[in-house]
Amino acid sequence: MKKIGITTTVPIEILIAAGYEVVDLNNIFIMSNKYAGLIEKAERDGFPSSSCAFKKGVYGAAMDNDFKEIVGVTEGDCSNSKALEEVFRMKGIKVYPFAYPSNHKLSDLKNSLDHFMNMFKVSLGEVEQVRIRLNKIRNLVKKIDELTYIDNKATALENHIYQISCSDFNGNDHNFQDELRNKIKEIKSRKTIEKKLRLAYIGTPPMTSDIYDFVEKFNSRIVYNEVQREFSFPRGINYKNIYEQYYDYTYPYDIEFRIQEIKKQIKQRKIDGVINYTQAFCYRQIEHIIIKESLDVPILNVEGDKLNVLDARTKLRIEAFLDMLIDRK
Amino acid sequence: MITLGIDLGSRKVKIMLMEDKKIINKFMVNTMAFYRDYCSYDGKIMVDLKKLNIDKVDKAVSTGYGRNNIDIKLFKPITEIKAHVYGAIYSTGLKDFVLLDVGGQDVKVIMVEKGIVTDLELNEKCAASCGRYLENMANVLEVPLLDMFNFSDDPVELNSTCAVFSESELIGKIAEGYSLEKLCAGVNFSLYKRLKPLLSKFKSETLLLSGGASKNSALIRYLKKDYEKVVVIDDAQYNGAYGCCIYGKNFCQ
Repeated sequence: MKKIGITTTVPIEILIAAGYEVVDLNNIFIMSNKYAGLIEKAERDGFPSSSCAFKKGVYGAAMDNDFKEIVGVTEGDCSNSKALEEVFRMKGIKVYPFAYPSNHKLSDLKNSLDHFMNMFKVSLGEVEQVRIRLNKIRNLVKKIDELTYIDNKATALENHIYQISCSDFNGNDHNFQDELRNKIKEIKSRKTIEKKLRLAYIGTPPMTSDIYDFVEKFNSRIVYNEVQREFSFPRGINYKNIYEQYYDYTYPYDIEFRIQEIKKQIKQRKIDGVINYTQAFCYRQIEHIIIKESLDVPILNVEGDKLNVLDARTKLRIEAFLDMLIDRK
Repeated sequence: MITLGIDLGSRKVKIMLMEDKKIINKFMVNTMAFYRDYCSYDGKIMVDLKKLNIDKVDKAVSTGYGRNNIDIKLFKPITEIKAHVYGAIYSTGLKDFVLLDVGGQDVKVIMVEKGIVTDLELNEKCAASCGRYLENMANVLEVPLLDMFNFSDDPVELNSTCAVFSESELIGKIAEGYSLEKLCAGVNFSLYKRLKPLLSKFKSETLLLSGGASKNSALIRYLKKDYEKVVVIDDAQYNGAYGCCIYGKNFCQ
Protein backbone atom coordinates (compact mmCIF):
# COMPACT_ATOMS: atom_id res chain seq x y z
CA MET A 1 0.00 0.00 0.00
CA LYS A 2 1.25 3.50 -0.86
CA LYS A 3 2.22 5.52 2.20
CA ILE A 4 1.51 9.23 2.63
CA GLY A 5 2.62 11.47 5.48
CA ILE A 6 0.49 14.21 7.05
CA THR A 7 1.67 17.06 9.26
CA THR A 8 -1.68 17.80 10.90
CA THR A 9 -5.28 16.57 10.65
CA VAL A 10 -6.45 16.66 7.02
CA PRO A 11 -9.47 15.06 5.28
CA ILE A 12 -8.15 11.54 5.69
CA GLU A 13 -11.26 10.07 4.01
CA ILE A 14 -9.97 11.31 0.65
CA LEU A 15 -6.54 9.78 1.13
CA ILE A 16 -7.92 6.42 2.25
CA ALA A 17 -10.36 6.42 -0.68
CA ALA A 18 -7.33 6.98 -2.95
CA GLY A 19 -5.74 3.83 -1.53
CA TYR A 20 -3.16 5.35 0.78
CA GLU A 21 -1.90 4.25 4.16
CA VAL A 22 -1.95 7.56 6.05
CA VAL A 23 0.70 8.28 8.67
CA ASP A 24 0.71 11.33 10.95
CA LEU A 25 4.36 12.37 11.11
CA ASN A 26 3.75 14.06 14.49
CA ASN A 27 2.84 10.68 15.95
CA ILE A 28 5.94 8.98 14.55
CA PHE A 29 8.07 11.78 15.98
CA ILE A 30 6.54 11.87 19.44
CA MET A 31 6.44 8.08 19.85
CA SER A 32 10.02 7.59 18.67
CA ASN A 33 12.59 6.70 21.28
CA LYS A 34 15.06 8.77 19.27
CA TYR A 35 12.79 11.84 19.18
CA ALA A 36 15.66 14.13 20.25
CA GLY A 37 17.78 12.80 17.40
CA LEU A 38 15.01 13.70 14.93
CA ILE A 39 15.03 17.30 16.18
CA GLU A 40 18.80 17.33 15.98
CA LYS A 41 18.69 16.10 12.40
CA ALA A 42 16.45 19.04 11.47
CA GLU A 43 18.77 21.50 13.22
CA ARG A 44 21.78 20.04 11.45
CA ASP A 45 19.94 20.61 8.17
CA GLY A 46 19.44 24.27 9.06
CA PHE A 47 16.23 24.58 11.09
CA PRO A 48 16.81 27.32 13.71
CA SER A 49 17.05 26.24 17.33
CA SER A 50 14.51 29.00 18.00
CA SER A 51 11.77 27.27 16.04
CA CYS A 52 8.98 24.82 16.87
CA ALA A 53 10.26 21.41 18.01
CA PHE A 54 7.25 19.72 16.39
CA LYS A 55 8.12 21.10 12.95
CA LYS A 56 11.68 19.88 13.37
CA GLY A 57 10.52 16.51 14.65
CA VAL A 58 8.11 16.11 11.74
CA TYR A 59 10.91 16.94 9.32
CA GLY A 60 13.24 14.47 11.02
CA ALA A 61 10.56 11.76 11.00
CA ALA A 62 9.82 12.28 7.28
CA MET A 63 13.51 12.07 6.37
CA ASP A 64 14.23 9.16 8.68
CA ASN A 65 11.34 7.11 7.29
CA ASP A 66 11.96 8.05 3.69
CA PHE A 67 8.51 9.45 2.90
CA LYS A 68 7.94 10.17 -0.81
CA GLU A 69 4.53 11.87 -0.54
CA ILE A 70 3.21 14.32 2.04
CA VAL A 71 0.09 16.45 2.43
CA GLY A 72 0.90 20.05 3.28
CA VAL A 73 -1.64 22.39 4.86
CA THR A 74 -1.28 25.76 3.17
CA GLU A 75 -4.05 27.55 5.07
CA GLY A 76 -5.22 26.87 8.62
CA ASP A 77 -1.76 26.08 9.94
CA CYS A 78 1.23 28.27 10.77
CA SER A 79 3.71 29.90 8.42
CA ASN A 80 6.42 27.58 9.74
CA SER A 81 4.42 24.67 8.32
CA LYS A 82 4.42 26.33 4.93
CA ALA A 83 8.19 26.76 5.03
CA LEU A 84 8.56 23.14 6.14
CA GLU A 85 6.56 22.05 3.08
CA GLU A 86 8.87 24.07 0.83
CA VAL A 87 11.84 22.26 2.33
CA PHE A 88 10.10 18.92 1.70
CA ARG A 89 9.63 19.92 -1.95
CA MET A 90 13.29 20.86 -2.22
CA LYS A 91 14.17 17.41 -0.88
CA GLY A 92 12.22 15.85 -3.75
CA ILE A 93 9.13 14.87 -1.75
CA LYS A 94 5.80 15.28 -3.55
CA VAL A 95 3.72 17.70 -1.49
CA TYR A 96 -0.06 17.83 -1.99
CA PRO A 97 -1.47 21.15 -0.75
CA PHE A 98 -4.68 21.37 1.24
CA ALA A 99 -6.27 24.56 2.60
CA TYR A 100 -8.72 25.21 5.41
CA PRO A 101 -9.99 28.58 4.11
CA SER A 102 -9.22 31.24 6.70
CA ASN A 103 -12.54 33.01 6.05
CA HIS A 104 -14.28 29.86 7.35
CA LYS A 105 -16.93 29.88 4.59
CA LEU A 106 -18.60 26.59 3.77
CA SER A 107 -18.59 27.34 0.03
CA ASP A 108 -14.83 27.97 0.02
CA LEU A 109 -14.18 24.86 2.06
CA LYS A 110 -16.29 22.88 -0.44
CA ASN A 111 -14.07 24.16 -3.28
CA SER A 112 -10.99 23.22 -1.32
CA LEU A 113 -12.25 19.69 -0.61
CA ASP A 114 -13.41 19.21 -4.23
CA HIS A 115 -9.98 20.31 -5.42
CA PHE A 116 -8.33 17.87 -3.03
CA MET A 117 -10.57 15.02 -4.27
CA ASN A 118 -9.71 15.85 -7.91
CA MET A 119 -6.04 15.82 -7.06
CA PHE A 120 -6.36 12.23 -5.84
CA LYS A 121 -8.91 11.28 -8.52
CA VAL A 122 -11.60 10.11 -6.11
CA SER A 123 -15.35 10.79 -6.23
CA LEU A 124 -17.52 12.23 -3.49
CA GLY A 125 -19.38 8.90 -3.34
CA GLU A 126 -16.16 6.97 -2.65
CA VAL A 127 -15.14 9.50 -0.02
CA GLU A 128 -18.51 9.37 1.71
CA GLN A 129 -18.28 5.58 1.93
CA VAL A 130 -14.98 5.89 3.77
CA ARG A 131 -16.38 8.67 5.94
CA ILE A 132 -19.27 6.47 7.09
CA ARG A 133 -16.77 3.72 7.92
CA LEU A 134 -14.50 6.09 9.84
CA ASN A 135 -17.34 7.74 11.70
CA LYS A 136 -18.15 4.39 13.31
CA ILE A 137 -14.62 4.46 14.72
CA ARG A 138 -14.98 8.11 15.73
CA ASN A 139 -18.09 7.09 17.63
CA LEU A 140 -16.01 4.58 19.58
CA VAL A 141 -13.47 7.28 20.38
CA LYS A 142 -16.31 9.52 21.50
CA LYS A 143 -17.30 6.72 23.85
CA ILE A 144 -13.76 6.80 25.34
CA ASP A 145 -14.16 10.55 25.87
CA GLU A 146 -17.47 9.95 27.67
CA LEU A 147 -15.84 7.24 29.75
CA THR A 148 -13.35 9.93 30.78
CA TYR A 149 -15.61 12.82 31.76
CA ILE A 150 -18.96 11.15 32.51
CA ASP A 151 -18.07 7.72 33.89
CA ASN A 152 -14.65 8.83 35.21
CA LYS A 153 -13.11 5.49 34.27
CA ALA A 154 -10.80 6.17 31.31
CA THR A 155 -7.53 7.89 32.18
CA ALA A 156 -6.58 11.32 30.83
CA LEU A 157 -3.65 9.76 28.98
CA GLU A 158 -5.94 7.23 27.27
CA ASN A 159 -8.27 10.07 26.36
CA HIS A 160 -5.33 11.93 24.84
CA ILE A 161 -3.88 8.97 22.96
CA TYR A 162 -7.08 7.58 21.42
CA GLN A 163 -8.38 10.96 20.32
CA ILE A 164 -5.06 12.07 18.87
CA SER A 165 -4.80 8.80 16.98
CA CYS A 166 -7.84 9.84 14.93
CA SER A 167 -5.61 11.98 12.72
CA ASP A 168 -4.35 8.79 11.00
CA PHE A 169 -6.25 5.96 12.76
CA ASN A 170 -2.82 4.52 13.52
CA GLY A 171 -2.31 3.83 9.82
CA ASN A 172 -4.95 1.04 9.78
CA ASP A 173 -8.53 1.85 10.70
CA HIS A 174 -9.65 -1.79 10.92
CA ASN A 175 -7.03 -2.69 13.52
CA PHE A 176 -7.68 0.57 15.34
CA GLN A 177 -11.40 -0.23 15.52
CA ASP A 178 -10.70 -3.67 17.05
CA GLU A 179 -8.30 -2.14 19.55
CA LEU A 180 -10.90 0.44 20.57
CA ARG A 181 -13.64 -2.14 21.09
CA ASN A 182 -11.42 -4.17 23.41
CA LYS A 183 -10.25 -1.07 25.23
CA ILE A 184 -13.78 0.20 25.85
CA LYS A 185 -14.80 -3.17 27.25
CA GLU A 186 -11.79 -3.15 29.57
CA ILE A 187 -12.31 0.45 30.70
CA LYS A 188 -16.00 -0.18 31.48
CA SER A 189 -15.02 -2.92 33.92
CA ARG A 190 -12.84 -0.53 35.95
CA LYS A 191 -13.65 1.33 39.14
CA THR A 192 -14.26 5.05 38.87
CA ILE A 193 -11.32 7.41 39.38
CA GLU A 194 -11.98 9.87 42.15
CA LYS A 195 -10.16 13.19 42.11
CA LYS A 196 -11.19 16.50 43.57
CA LEU A 197 -10.24 18.82 40.70
CA ARG A 198 -11.42 18.53 37.12
CA LEU A 199 -9.05 20.13 34.64
CA ALA A 200 -9.15 21.03 30.98
CA TYR A 201 -6.10 20.69 28.77
CA ILE A 202 -6.31 23.07 25.83
CA GLY A 203 -3.91 23.93 23.03
CA THR A 204 -1.47 21.90 20.99
CA PRO A 205 -1.13 18.26 22.07
CA PRO A 206 1.84 18.13 24.43
CA MET A 207 5.46 17.23 23.85
CA THR A 208 5.34 16.32 27.52
CA SER A 209 2.66 13.67 27.87
CA ASP A 210 3.75 12.97 31.47
CA ILE A 211 1.61 16.02 32.35
CA TYR A 212 -1.44 13.73 32.58
CA ASP A 213 0.02 11.53 35.30
CA PHE A 214 1.75 14.45 37.00
CA VAL A 215 -1.42 16.41 37.77
CA GLU A 216 -2.98 13.30 39.30
CA LYS A 217 -0.47 13.50 42.17
CA PHE A 218 -2.34 16.61 43.32
CA ASN A 219 -5.84 15.18 43.53
CA SER A 220 -6.57 16.49 40.03
CA ARG A 221 -7.49 14.99 36.72
CA ILE A 222 -7.66 16.20 33.15
CA VAL A 223 -11.11 15.40 31.74
CA TYR A 224 -11.01 17.44 28.55
CA ASN A 225 -8.36 17.41 25.83
CA GLU A 226 -9.45 20.18 23.53
CA VAL A 227 -7.48 19.80 20.29
CA GLN A 228 -7.17 16.02 20.53
CA ARG A 229 -10.97 15.90 20.77
CA GLU A 230 -11.23 18.07 17.67
CA PHE A 231 -9.06 15.53 15.83
CA SER A 232 -11.78 12.95 16.49
CA PHE A 233 -14.60 15.11 15.04
CA PRO A 234 -17.07 14.49 17.87
CA ARG A 235 -19.68 16.80 16.32
CA GLY A 236 -18.84 16.06 12.70
CA ILE A 237 -20.09 12.50 13.10
CA ASN A 238 -23.65 13.75 12.78
CA TYR A 239 -23.23 15.84 9.65
CA LYS A 240 -24.58 14.74 6.31
CA ASN A 241 -21.44 15.20 4.25
CA ILE A 242 -17.68 15.71 4.41
CA TYR A 243 -18.04 19.44 3.74
CA GLU A 244 -20.06 20.06 6.89
CA GLN A 245 -17.80 17.80 8.92
CA TYR A 246 -14.62 19.72 8.12
CA TYR A 247 -16.45 23.01 8.45
CA ASP A 248 -17.29 22.27 12.08
CA TYR A 249 -13.68 21.71 13.12
CA THR A 250 -12.28 24.43 15.34
CA TYR A 251 -8.51 24.03 15.27
CA PRO A 252 -7.55 25.60 11.91
CA TYR A 253 -10.01 28.48 12.07
CA ASP A 254 -10.20 31.69 14.09
CA ILE A 255 -9.65 31.79 17.84
CA GLU A 256 -13.20 32.95 18.65
CA PHE A 257 -14.67 29.83 17.07
CA ARG A 258 -12.28 27.71 19.17
CA ILE A 259 -13.13 29.59 22.36
CA GLN A 260 -16.89 29.08 21.91
CA GLU A 261 -16.43 25.32 21.94
CA ILE A 262 -13.96 25.45 24.86
CA LYS A 263 -16.48 27.44 26.91
CA LYS A 264 -19.22 24.96 26.15
CA GLN A 265 -17.03 22.06 27.27
CA ILE A 266 -15.87 23.86 30.43
CA LYS A 267 -19.50 24.14 31.47
CA GLN A 268 -20.55 20.66 30.43
CA ARG A 269 -17.55 18.94 32.02
CA LYS A 270 -17.63 21.05 35.21
CA ILE A 271 -14.04 22.24 34.77
CA ASP A 272 -12.29 23.87 37.76
CA GLY A 273 -9.16 25.06 35.98
CA VAL A 274 -7.51 25.11 32.57
CA ILE A 275 -3.99 24.30 31.42
CA ASN A 276 -3.22 25.99 28.10
CA TYR A 277 -0.24 24.24 26.56
CA THR A 278 1.71 26.13 23.95
CA GLN A 279 4.84 25.18 22.12
CA ALA A 280 7.84 27.51 22.38
CA PHE A 281 8.14 29.87 19.38
CA CYS A 282 4.52 29.23 18.34
CA TYR A 283 2.09 32.01 17.43
CA ARG A 284 -0.43 30.32 19.71
CA GLN A 285 1.52 31.73 22.66
CA ILE A 286 0.21 35.14 21.62
CA GLU A 287 -3.32 33.75 21.44
CA HIS A 288 -3.02 32.97 25.16
CA ILE A 289 -3.72 36.68 25.75
CA ILE A 290 -7.18 36.27 24.22
CA ILE A 291 -7.88 32.88 25.78
CA LYS A 292 -6.95 34.11 29.27
CA GLU A 293 -9.26 37.09 28.86
CA SER A 294 -12.14 35.06 27.46
CA LEU A 295 -12.36 32.24 29.98
CA ASP A 296 -13.66 32.87 33.46
CA VAL A 297 -11.89 29.92 35.09
CA PRO A 298 -8.29 30.04 36.37
CA ILE A 299 -5.85 29.29 33.58
CA LEU A 300 -2.21 28.27 33.57
CA ASN A 301 -0.03 28.57 30.49
CA VAL A 302 2.50 25.76 30.21
CA GLU A 303 5.19 26.03 27.58
CA GLY A 304 6.90 23.03 26.05
CA ASP A 305 9.95 22.96 23.83
CA LYS A 306 12.25 20.08 22.94
CA LEU A 307 12.03 17.95 26.08
CA ASN A 308 9.42 15.18 26.20
CA VAL A 309 9.06 15.29 29.99
CA LEU A 310 8.06 18.20 32.23
CA ASP A 311 11.01 20.17 33.62
CA ALA A 312 11.33 20.91 37.35
CA ARG A 313 10.23 24.53 37.05
CA THR A 314 7.08 23.68 35.14
CA LYS A 315 6.28 20.99 37.71
CA LEU A 316 6.63 23.55 40.50
CA ARG A 317 4.34 25.96 38.65
CA ILE A 318 1.68 23.32 38.06
CA GLU A 319 1.90 22.23 41.71
CA ALA A 320 1.51 25.80 43.02
CA PHE A 321 -1.45 26.42 40.67
CA LEU A 322 -3.26 23.23 41.71
CA ASP A 323 -2.41 23.76 45.39
CA MET A 324 -4.43 26.99 45.39
CA LEU A 325 -7.14 25.76 43.05
CA ILE A 326 -7.95 22.88 45.36
CA ASP A 327 -8.61 25.28 48.25
CA ARG A 328 -11.61 26.57 46.30
CA LYS A 329 -13.31 23.19 46.27
CA MET B 1 -12.70 31.24 66.34
CA ILE B 2 -9.03 31.94 66.94
CA THR B 3 -6.49 31.11 64.24
CA LEU B 4 -2.76 31.02 64.79
CA GLY B 5 -0.41 31.61 61.88
CA ILE B 6 3.33 31.03 62.18
CA ASP B 7 5.87 31.87 59.48
CA LEU B 8 9.20 30.23 60.30
CA GLY B 9 11.72 32.41 58.50
CA SER B 10 15.49 32.05 58.45
CA ARG B 11 16.02 35.15 60.61
CA LYS B 12 12.70 35.72 62.38
CA VAL B 13 9.68 33.66 63.31
CA LYS B 14 6.54 35.70 62.71
CA ILE B 15 3.53 34.86 64.84
CA MET B 16 0.00 36.16 64.33
CA LEU B 17 -3.31 35.50 66.03
CA MET B 18 -6.60 36.23 64.34
CA GLU B 19 -10.06 36.15 65.85
CA ASP B 20 -12.61 35.87 63.05
CA LYS B 21 -11.37 38.59 60.68
CA LYS B 22 -9.51 40.69 63.22
CA ILE B 23 -5.81 40.46 64.04
CA ILE B 24 -5.65 40.31 67.84
CA ASN B 25 -1.94 39.83 68.34
CA LYS B 26 1.28 39.66 66.36
CA PHE B 27 4.93 39.46 67.31
CA MET B 28 8.30 38.28 66.11
CA VAL B 29 10.89 36.08 67.76
CA ASN B 30 14.44 35.55 66.53
CA THR B 31 14.58 32.16 64.84
CA MET B 32 17.36 30.87 67.09
CA ALA B 33 15.53 32.00 70.23
CA PHE B 34 12.27 30.49 68.98
CA TYR B 35 13.69 27.00 68.67
CA ARG B 36 15.78 27.31 71.84
CA ASP B 37 13.27 28.94 74.18
CA TYR B 38 9.81 28.08 72.89
CA CYS B 39 10.11 24.62 71.43
CA SER B 40 10.82 21.11 72.66
CA TYR B 41 11.69 18.08 70.63
CA ASP B 42 9.89 14.78 70.81
CA GLY B 43 10.28 13.16 67.40
CA LYS B 44 8.68 16.30 66.05
CA ILE B 45 9.27 19.85 67.21
CA MET B 46 6.54 20.86 69.66
CA VAL B 47 5.76 24.54 70.06
CA ASP B 48 5.12 25.55 73.65
CA LEU B 49 2.22 27.92 73.17
CA LYS B 50 2.01 28.74 76.86
CA LYS B 51 5.53 30.15 76.81
CA LEU B 52 4.47 32.30 73.87
CA ASN B 53 1.53 33.52 75.99
CA ILE B 54 -0.98 32.00 73.61
CA ASP B 55 -3.92 30.39 75.42
CA LYS B 56 -6.64 29.22 73.18
CA VAL B 57 -6.23 28.31 69.54
CA ASP B 58 -8.85 26.67 67.33
CA LYS B 59 -6.75 26.31 64.21
CA ALA B 60 -3.03 26.59 63.62
CA VAL B 61 -1.27 26.89 60.29
CA SER B 62 2.46 27.08 59.69
CA THR B 63 4.69 27.96 56.78
CA GLY B 64 8.35 28.59 56.11
CA TYR B 65 11.40 26.37 56.07
CA GLY B 66 10.52 24.60 59.26
CA ARG B 67 6.88 23.97 58.49
CA ASN B 68 7.22 20.23 58.12
CA ASN B 69 9.13 19.87 61.38
CA ILE B 70 6.54 21.50 63.57
CA ASP B 71 4.13 19.40 65.63
CA ILE B 72 1.78 18.30 62.89
CA LYS B 73 -0.91 17.24 65.29
CA LEU B 74 -1.63 20.87 65.93
CA PHE B 75 -0.36 22.66 62.83
CA LYS B 76 -1.44 22.37 59.24
CA PRO B 77 1.65 23.10 57.13
CA ILE B 78 1.26 25.04 53.86
CA THR B 79 3.83 26.18 51.31
CA GLU B 80 5.35 29.63 51.60
CA ILE B 81 4.08 30.45 48.13
CA LYS B 82 0.50 29.85 49.13
CA ALA B 83 0.87 31.65 52.46
CA HIS B 84 2.33 34.75 50.86
CA VAL B 85 -0.19 34.82 48.03
CA TYR B 86 -3.17 34.54 50.39
CA GLY B 87 -1.62 37.20 52.59
CA ALA B 88 -1.19 39.52 49.60
CA ILE B 89 -4.66 38.92 48.13
CA TYR B 90 -6.49 39.45 51.41
CA SER B 91 -4.51 42.47 52.56
CA THR B 92 -4.74 44.36 49.25
CA GLY B 93 -7.97 43.06 47.70
CA LEU B 94 -6.06 42.61 44.42
CA LYS B 95 -6.21 39.47 42.31
CA ASP B 96 -3.80 40.22 39.47
CA PHE B 97 -0.27 41.17 40.44
CA VAL B 98 3.35 40.17 40.74
CA LEU B 99 4.43 39.61 44.32
CA LEU B 100 8.05 40.16 45.26
CA ASP B 101 8.96 38.77 48.65
CA VAL B 102 12.50 39.44 49.80
CA GLY B 103 13.23 37.62 53.00
CA GLY B 104 16.31 37.00 55.09
CA GLN B 105 17.71 34.30 52.83
CA ASP B 106 15.32 33.86 49.99
CA VAL B 107 13.53 35.72 47.26
CA LYS B 108 10.23 34.75 45.77
CA VAL B 109 8.65 36.30 42.70
CA ILE B 110 5.11 35.06 42.21
CA MET B 111 2.76 35.86 39.37
CA VAL B 112 -0.90 35.85 40.40
CA GLU B 113 -3.70 35.97 37.85
CA LYS B 114 -7.39 35.72 38.73
CA GLY B 115 -6.35 35.06 42.32
CA ILE B 116 -4.29 31.94 41.51
CA VAL B 117 -0.54 31.41 41.17
CA THR B 118 0.38 31.00 37.51
CA ASP B 119 4.13 31.46 37.62
CA LEU B 120 6.94 31.77 40.09
CA GLU B 121 10.65 32.12 40.42
CA LEU B 122 12.69 31.39 43.52
CA ASN B 123 16.32 32.10 44.20
CA GLU B 124 18.44 28.99 44.30
CA LYS B 125 22.03 28.28 45.26
CA CYS B 126 22.74 31.84 46.38
CA ALA B 127 21.27 34.35 48.81
CA ALA B 128 23.14 37.42 47.54
CA SER B 129 19.90 39.22 46.75
CA CYS B 130 18.35 38.90 50.20
CA GLY B 131 17.95 40.63 53.51
CA ARG B 132 21.01 39.03 55.05
CA TYR B 133 23.16 40.63 52.37
CA LEU B 134 21.80 44.06 53.31
CA GLU B 135 22.50 43.40 57.01
CA ASN B 136 26.11 42.47 56.27
CA MET B 137 26.66 45.49 54.08
CA ALA B 138 25.14 47.83 56.71
CA ASN B 139 27.56 46.30 59.23
CA VAL B 140 30.50 46.99 56.92
CA LEU B 141 29.36 50.61 56.57
CA GLU B 142 28.65 50.81 60.31
CA VAL B 143 25.20 52.34 59.75
CA PRO B 144 21.85 51.10 61.09
CA LEU B 145 20.09 48.97 58.46
CA LEU B 146 17.01 51.20 58.27
CA ASP B 147 19.17 54.30 57.77
CA MET B 148 20.97 52.67 54.88
CA PHE B 149 17.61 52.13 53.13
CA ASN B 150 17.07 55.89 52.73
CA PHE B 151 19.67 56.46 50.03
CA SER B 152 19.10 55.90 46.34
CA ASP B 153 20.78 58.79 44.47
CA ASP B 154 24.02 58.46 42.56
CA PRO B 155 24.93 54.93 43.72
CA VAL B 156 28.50 53.64 43.57
CA GLU B 157 28.97 50.74 41.20
CA LEU B 158 29.05 47.33 42.94
CA ASN B 159 29.30 44.50 40.44
CA SER B 160 30.15 41.32 42.32
CA THR B 161 27.78 38.41 41.94
CA CYS B 162 28.88 37.07 45.30
CA ALA B 163 27.66 38.69 48.52
CA VAL B 164 30.99 38.06 50.26
CA PHE B 165 33.08 39.54 47.45
CA SER B 166 30.68 42.51 47.48
CA GLU B 167 31.88 43.31 51.00
CA SER B 168 35.49 43.66 49.81
CA GLU B 169 34.32 45.61 46.79
CA LEU B 170 32.46 47.97 49.13
CA ILE B 171 35.54 48.35 51.34
CA GLY B 172 37.48 49.31 48.19
CA LYS B 173 34.90 52.03 47.49
CA ILE B 174 35.14 53.29 51.09
CA ALA B 175 38.91 53.54 50.60
CA GLU B 176 38.38 55.51 47.40
CA GLY B 177 36.61 58.15 49.49
CA TYR B 178 33.01 57.94 48.29
CA SER B 179 30.41 59.56 50.55
CA LEU B 180 28.36 57.38 52.89
CA GLU B 181 25.19 58.36 50.98
CA LYS B 182 26.61 57.08 47.69
CA LEU B 183 27.92 53.91 49.34
CA CYS B 184 24.51 53.18 50.91
CA ALA B 185 22.80 53.88 47.58
CA GLY B 186 25.29 51.52 45.92
CA VAL B 187 24.29 48.67 48.23
CA ASN B 188 20.58 49.30 47.62
CA PHE B 189 21.11 49.53 43.88
CA SER B 190 23.12 46.30 43.83
CA LEU B 191 20.16 44.52 45.46
CA TYR B 192 17.86 45.96 42.78
CA LYS B 193 20.23 44.81 40.02
CA ARG B 194 20.21 41.26 41.40
CA LEU B 195 16.43 41.19 41.64
CA LYS B 196 15.86 42.57 38.17
CA PRO B 197 16.63 39.40 36.17
CA LEU B 198 14.21 37.48 38.40
CA LEU B 199 11.53 40.11 37.90
CA SER B 200 11.99 40.67 34.19
CA LYS B 201 10.12 37.47 33.31
CA PHE B 202 6.96 38.71 34.97
CA LYS B 203 5.00 41.41 33.29
CA SER B 204 2.28 43.10 35.30
CA GLU B 205 1.08 46.60 36.00
CA THR B 206 1.14 46.03 39.73
CA LEU B 207 4.02 44.89 41.88
CA LEU B 208 3.36 44.00 45.50
CA LEU B 209 6.20 43.89 47.97
CA SER B 210 6.40 41.79 51.09
CA GLY B 211 9.12 40.53 53.39
CA GLY B 212 11.69 42.44 55.40
CA ALA B 213 13.32 44.13 52.43
CA SER B 214 10.10 46.00 51.64
CA LYS B 215 11.23 48.46 54.29
CA ASN B 216 13.92 49.45 51.81
CA SER B 217 12.61 52.74 50.41
CA ALA B 218 15.51 53.03 47.97
CA LEU B 219 14.59 49.68 46.47
CA ILE B 220 10.98 50.83 46.14
CA ARG B 221 12.13 53.98 44.36
CA TYR B 222 14.10 51.89 41.81
CA LEU B 223 11.18 49.49 41.27
CA LYS B 224 8.75 52.34 40.68
CA LYS B 225 10.57 53.04 37.42
CA ASP B 226 9.65 49.56 36.16
CA TYR B 227 6.04 49.20 37.32
CA GLU B 228 3.01 51.45 37.04
CA LYS B 229 2.07 50.68 40.60
CA VAL B 230 4.29 49.45 43.45
CA VAL B 231 2.39 48.58 46.59
CA VAL B 232 4.05 47.69 49.88
CA ILE B 233 1.82 45.30 51.75
CA ASP B 234 0.78 46.50 55.21
CA ASP B 235 2.84 44.73 57.83
CA ALA B 236 4.92 43.30 55.01
CA GLN B 237 7.02 41.15 57.31
CA TYR B 238 3.91 39.44 58.65
CA ASN B 239 2.48 38.68 55.21
CA GLY B 240 3.28 34.95 55.42
CA ALA B 241 1.86 34.64 58.93
CA TYR B 242 -1.24 36.58 57.85
CA GLY B 243 -1.64 34.23 54.86
CA CYS B 244 -1.51 31.29 57.28
CA CYS B 245 -4.31 32.83 59.36
CA ILE B 246 -6.39 33.48 56.24
CA TYR B 247 -5.88 29.91 55.07
CA GLY B 248 -6.82 28.59 58.51
CA LYS B 249 -9.94 30.70 58.64
CA ASN B 250 -11.17 30.18 55.07
CA PHE B 251 -9.92 26.86 53.84
CA CYS B 252 -8.84 24.64 56.73
CA GLN B 253 -11.24 21.83 57.51
